[in-house]
Amino acid sequence: MKPDAQDVLAYLTEQMLTQIAPKVQPPYLAGTIGMIGAALAVLTEEWDRAAHRLVEENRAIRALFRKAESLSLEAGLAGELRALAGGEDDDLHIKALDAGNAALRSVLIRLQTAVETRGDAASKALNEAIWAELTASTVRRQQASAPF
Amino acid sequence: MSELTEDRIAGYIASRLEGARDVVVDKLFRISGGASRETYRLWLRYVAADGSRVERPLILRRDPPDSLIDTERLIEFSAYRAFHGSAVPVPEMLWLEQDPSHLDFPFFIAEEIAGFEAAPGILLNEPYLRHKAKMGLQKWTILGEIAKADPEVLGLTRIMPPVTVETAWSQALDYWEGVIDEDELSPQPIIRAAIRWLRANPPPPAQKISVVHGDYRTGNFLYDTEGDIHGILDWEMSHLGDPLEDLGWTLNRIWCWAQDDLRGALLPRDEAIAIWETASGLKADPAALHWWELFNCVKGQGIWVSSAKAWSDGQNKDPILIVSSWRLLNSQDRAALELMGRL
Repeated sequence: MKPDAQDVLAYLTEQMLTQIAPKVQPPYLAGTIGMIGAALAVLTEEWDRAAHRLVEENRAIRALFRKAESLSLEAGLAGELRALAGGEDDDLHIKALDAGNAALRSVLIRLQTAVETRGDAASKALNEAIWAELTASTVRRQQASAPF
Repeated sequence: MSELTEDRIAGYIASRLEGARDVVVDKLFRISGGASRETYRLWLRYVAADGSRVERPLILRRDPPDSLIDTERLIEFSAYRAFHGSAVPVPEMLWLEQDPSHLDFPFFIAEEIAGFEAAPGILLNEPYLRHKAKMGLQKWTILGEIAKADPEVLGLTRIMPPVTVETAWSQALDYWEGVIDEDELSPQPIIRAAIRWLRANPPPPAQKISVVHGDYRTGNFLYDTEGDIHGILDWEMSHLGDPLEDLGWTLNRIWCWAQDDLRGALLPRDEAIAIWETASGLKADPAALHWWELFNCVKGQGIWVSSAKAWSDGQNKDPILIVSSWRLLNSQDRAALELMGRL
């Protein structure tokens, strides 16, 4: 798509927030336009990076699941980890990547719950690796306009 | 459902004003007042029973089909009423109507404290910027007054669900974990880890049971160009609980609107705590406050996932629900990570 979609979204957002919203009456509608502009600003940031972010994150979580294979875990969880660890993101549509990400993060919660209270070195190391990935996930999602 | 008109509102008010005549409502328009209730500004004029002419600006808050927070309007109305005329500035509540036959949904009408700002973004510019320390002093002093107040004397123990000093933390955590269980549209591994930590490391019993405003933050009070605060708004999440809950919410990183370390875009964390301690006469034990700050990340995430759910379900398409969930979910996760020493 030319012009680039991200450039277009950024321009339309700027127009909406600086040229249109201040002239809209009544104030409630102006506020609504401002909120629509704020939503577009988020989309502008996400447009280019969303697929990359999700693929990167899904790979990182699958790598954590492979590390867990050496641990003695409850059979049901271990089976799910094995099944998901070998997966790949063949469908690169955002919705498909997002669904895959949700499935992975759901099992990641169960994995961390299982290992975080164990005292052995391998479990501790995996728990630290999970924390590192969770921290990295918030960096991938960070937005320029976010308060923190 | 018929249109909300000036005549319908005037008809309702006329039925509540004994002896009044020539009741007129005009200048009705909707304003931004958060996503939990529809908020309207209006002017009321009438001739009172004693013959005097009355004219006053009012606010009408009406329940929408679905809102950001499921709340009891009676509790919100009662909290406002309880603090009216005290050291905690609030608008006067006039009528609460739970019968939806009048204006299609339950609503209440209050005086408007007119002519002031509430939006946090405006604070980042002059002339407000130069008054941030003064406003911060007032903000955390008023919160201290709320914490100091006796809910029994205020009459709120008859309205709000009971809680004990031992169970305040678990009741609050149970509630917000339940909200996340019910409303999350995608898994939340960071907040789930926070919940596990909070349950494994409970705080000490509350020093006392206070009225907890529930959403006390920059953005929910009215201020002027001199840095004075004129009204504390949005009591819809008020309840009885540990006063550290409110303090922790004010310190939440997601309210650092200037993207720096000033809490609520007003004061450094330690200064805010010191002001609150002086005003409330209570202590903010560091370990207990840390628990409540992390708890408030869970509570915040409960609100943001509920926003996303309410919009996705289609019952409330207010764009504020999109923006609040998109913009704050990740910030809330980062706030939790920082408190858990992971950022």
